[in-house]
Amino acid sequence: MSSTELTDTGHETVAATPPATRLRMVPLLEVRQSVSERLRIGVYVISLLVAAALSVALLAWSGVAPSDLGREIATTAFSSPRALGSVLVRTAPLVIAGLATAIAFRANFWNIGLEGQMILGAIFASAVAIYDIGPENGRVVTMALAACLGGMLWIAGPGLLKQRLGINEVITTLLLNYVAFNLLLHMVYGPWKDPVSAFPHTEQYETFERLPMLGWLNLNWALPLAVGLALILWWIMSFSRVGYLLDLMSSNARMAGAVGVPVAGLTVAAILGSGAVGGLTGFAISAGVEFRMTQDFFSGYLFSGVLIAFLGRNHPLGVVVVAFFMAVLLLVGQSLQVFFGVPFALVQLIQAIFITCVAASEFFLTYRMHWRQAA
Amino acid sequence: MTDTLALSSVSKSFGGFRALDTVDFVARAGEVHALLGENGAGKSTLMNIACGLYAPDEGHVAIDGKTVRISGARDAAARGIGMVHQHFKLVPAFSVLENIMLFNPGRSPSEVASKAQDLARQMGFEISLSDKAGTLGVAEQQRIEILKVLLAGARIVILDEPTAVLSPEEGRMLMGLVRKLAEAGSAVILVTHKLHEALHHSDRITVMRGGRKISETTPEGMDPASLTTLIVGEQIIEKPQLSKAVGPIEVELENVTLSGESGRKGLVDVSFRVRRGEIYGVAGVSGNGQNELSAAIMGLSFPSSGRIGMNGLGDVSKRGPGYRRRHGLGCIPVDRYSHGLAGRISVTDNYAVNGAMAGAYGGWGYFKRGLAQAAAREAVAAYDVQGVRSLGQRAGLLSGGNAQKLVIAREFEGAPRVVLAHSPSRGLDVRAGAAVHDRLRAARDRGAAVILISDDLDEIMLLSDRIGVLNSGRLTREFKAPAERGDIGAAMVSHE
Amino acid sequence: MSDFLLNWLINIPGFAAPFALAALGLIITERAGVLNLGAEGFMLVGALAGVGAMLNGSAPLLALGGSVVAGMLLGLLFAVMVASLRINHVISGLALVFFAQALVSFIASAERWNNKAIAGLEPVFLGQDVVIFAVPVLTLAVLWLLNKTRFGLSLRAVGENPGAADAAGIDVTAMRFAAIVIGAGLIGLAGGYLTVAVSRIWVDTVVGGRGWIAIALVIFARWHPWRAVLGAVLFGCIEALIPRIAATGADVPRYFLQMTPYLATLGVMIWAALRGSDRWAQPAALGQHHIREERD
Repeated sequence: MSSTELTDTGHETVAATPPATRLRMVPLLEVRQSVSERLRIGVYVISLLVAAALSVALLAWSGVAPSDLGREIATTAFSSPRALGSVLVRTAPLVIAGLATAIAFRANFWNIGLEGQMILGAIFASAVAIYDIGPENGRVVTMALAACLGGMLWIAGPGLLKQRLGINEVITTLLLNYVAFNLLLHMVYGPWKDPVSAFPHTEQYETFERLPMLGWLNLNWALPLAVGLALILWWIMSFSRVGYLLDLMSSNARMAGAVGVPVAGLTVAAILGSGAVGGLTGFAISAGVEFRMTQDFFSGYLFSGVLIAFLGRNHPLGVVVVAFFMAVLLLVGQSLQVFFGVPFALVQLIQAIFITCVAASEFFLTYRMHWRQAA
Repeated sequence: MTDTLALSSVSKSFGGFRALDTVDFVARAGEVHALLGENGAGKSTLMNIACGLYAPDEGHVAIDGKTVRISGARDAAARGIGMVHQHFKLVPAFSVLENIMLFNPGRSPSEVASKAQDLARQMGFEISLSDKAGTLGVAEQQRIEILKVLLAGARIVILDEPTAVLSPEEGRMLMGLVRKLAEAGSAVILVTHKLHEALHHSDRITVMRGGRKISETTPEGMDPASLTTLIVGEQIIEKPQLSKAVGPIEVELENVTLSGESGRKGLVDVSFRVRRGEIYGVAGVSGNGQNELSAAIMGLSFPSSGRIGMNGLGDVSKRGPGYRRRHGLGCIPVDRYSHGLAGRISVTDNYAVNGAMAGAYGGWGYFKRGLAQAAAREAVAAYDVQGVRSLGQRAGLLSGGNAQKLVIAREFEGAPRVVLAHSPSRGLDVRAGAAVHDRLRAARDRGAAVILISDDLDEIMLLSDRIGVLNSGRLTREFKAPAERGDIGAAMVSHE
Repeated sequence: MSDFLLNWLINIPGFAAPFALAALGLIITERAGVLNLGAEGFMLVGALAGVGAMLNGSAPLLALGGSVVAGMLLGLLFAVMVASLRINHVISGLALVFFAQALVSFIASAERWNNKAIAGLEPVFLGQDVVIFAVPVLTLAVLWLLNKTRFGLSLRAVGENPGAADAAGIDVTAMRFAAIVIGAGLIGLAGGYLTVAVSRIWVDTVVGGRGWIAIALVIFARWHPWRAVLGAVLFGCIEALIPRIAATGADVPRYFLQMTPYLATLGVMIWAALRGSDRWAQPAALGQHHIREERD
């Protein structure tokens, strides 16, 4: 045999030197016909480990020794119930953001407009609060529904353009982020500027306009909302006819249409759902964390949302798990910034390393490599 | 005479699968050598080794008696080997000249242009170098392909299933061209599964089966029956069986007009009726409105005028596929991997979609996978779908014949009253094709109205009770079986 | 009024040039079949490299050279992901933008390059700098490269039908690698021009979505260099107008004015889609990977 074939489990050796032979060997790719669950998990775990190793090395290079890092993580996240509570408070909006992105991705719609939808959600919720719409005892629910409506309105345009005219949604959703951001600035520098402090944010929400506290640690209702949403979506995606049909559509939309699956209807529903949950993310932050709409409350969530959905494999429960670790990372990043003077952008860089490594690992799931002799 | 190209004891494996097993093959200057075999017999693998796309695991390749190692397409071209692929390797957005240039590096456009014109004239046809390749008909595109490999200096010309996309008339012209090439001194290899091409247009025939060379012979003394036996290893001869009981009209097209995609002709005033217990064959050279007709019947595109009636439903021409399927339409689409199956999900999920839409496996809130799996298991057994190791296996892993069986199992599940089958045996070997044909006859015999659209005239002749001919988007002639093959062929290409 | 007009006109080329350069880079990449959503990222690293070089005493033109190199280096990463590892083009592009955003923000704050004024590129003629005059030349060069050279023929073949290119002996991976790196260099230059010639200062938001607008421009221009330059001028007009309207003291809400480039981009995309598709405009294999079929 003059050509050597690598087996399924041999993917790590691909980068190694070709088999010892005097002939020059060139790599030859072959599309994998099937991927075992073990290989899938193995490749995923290895890519996470590689990303983690790179991140630790990067931190060490910026002056945070691995031992310091370990101590920071332990104290920030797990030293006390209160610390864990802070992590969970951070986790809730991240879960919702990840779910918003994952819903759209499941329907093959690249929603890169999470920040715009969050802004519209917060604007709609704030409008309800500022103009005292609806009874006080149901105000917070009205705000949540208004936020969903705002997010849906903001994604409806790109959805329509994609469905009707085939316009690339990556660009339209992203551009609308900038439009929404300017709208937000207009509101907080203009009509909604806080009359008390004259700072560019809305006035504080009344107590009944905030998500109520759970009465345990410093947690409020954002967390049960996020987890409940994840469970509902889990059911829909994994056990309902909708989830089954979405699978069929994402595997072959033409075939699904040909056998009578309402492809357009389901896609539109998923797109609007994604926008609604995006709006809810904005609500969860303004009514659950900041108690007002600030001018940069959304910042970084687009990136986090894509990362959480992607690492969570668009699976609602995966999203919850990844969002938790993301919250730890963000809090540790803040504390490193304070105590080690490390720029917060390093946290973003670590996020980027993770998304790149996991994306790159797909190669090993899609292709098998042979070595073949060159002439 | 020396062997221009000689492959000796060539073997090649993919994964664990031995695609070629110590095969010898020679091509000589001035000869047309036909290479026959079913899909998967190893013809393409052998030819891909000849033109340097694969390296053989064992054995060697010699050109003009000297052993060579061909490193790739460019090297093969430099050594005088040119391959005309079944799926043309043309860039549709490029002009004819640009396409030829692409294959002939290191020459100026004016030089290539004048040589191409000269050569075309020698071969007996005209070309317009500034036309975009994508706007040309298939026969013209094929001529460009041949021209471009000849200009690159090919002395060994491999033609892979060259007549598969041509009308009978175009096919005859191509065979004339092939003979001219051989007379001009080329070694021509004709990869085909059409027996009459091997028998009438070649000097030598090699038959392959299961990765081995079964026989090398000359056309003299061979006939279709003996060749078939060599190719499939046993005799499978299908005979036409006409319908025994024709019932009332089940489906009816009346003056259906539909514009085609991007400037193609589509359908013009197409009318025909199909009765219960009857197979209505739609013959025609591909690209004459078959895809549009198929889409109109499936409900994927709506006619701009005319009506499509289904018994008891009235006009369904503006109804989507879901509605038509709920009321008794079953479809075997032309490309089973694009409209028939979703390759990345399981056999069960592919099978279950009809039942799921009908609510057989629970409502919108809960999809009962267990029920779907049980139904899929039954269907896989009943329709003899082979190669299913588990029902959770991806449908894309099934071979062509078995994938088609799975499509049929799903489409025939509710005993549809109207069946549309578009080129249902395309790409299948003789055995699998015969199995598909049996299913269609069985559907007819239980009383379904079957519409069979096919560009394979043999398939039409074999199955149809009545035959309509689609030419330039119009249904120009109708025949009652048994009809003369020549008459139908003439109607397919006539320009009235 | 004539002052207003003159002031406006003289500023248009400066705002148009980054769009034109980025669009040219995108056209080279996408004509090879690579869907390039990473434009914003290439512009960011180019912009930061320009500022960094200037702050370290480099001449403006040398700083722009640094932008090209920075774009190309990031292009190498993108090329490995898309051409070698054959990762989904959308995911790769997004990951690249995120990576670049984080990287420039990190470097800028680590090196304390934020909010520091730099000297910048000086006008040479008619109030325009040398890069402005280079844009038409570069456009001609790109046209020549794509349409008159063997390299361009191969590059376009790879973008239209990689299978045919492969059969003609063209190395599809290598062509895409080259197209990405060359394109990334031009897009990096576009970013460098933004900081070195226009803003003359670094803030993390300096690129502000112009990479995305450039992507839309290329669709609008149907992958044709001259039409892309025309589109760039249109956007230059809009961008140059915004500060001038604000300066007149007209009562137009500031933040609504700042939305206009993005809304205009959406408008342009809708117009391009409504006008109907030119069958040959979009590279047929855009966003598709090529892998030679291994079996028969």
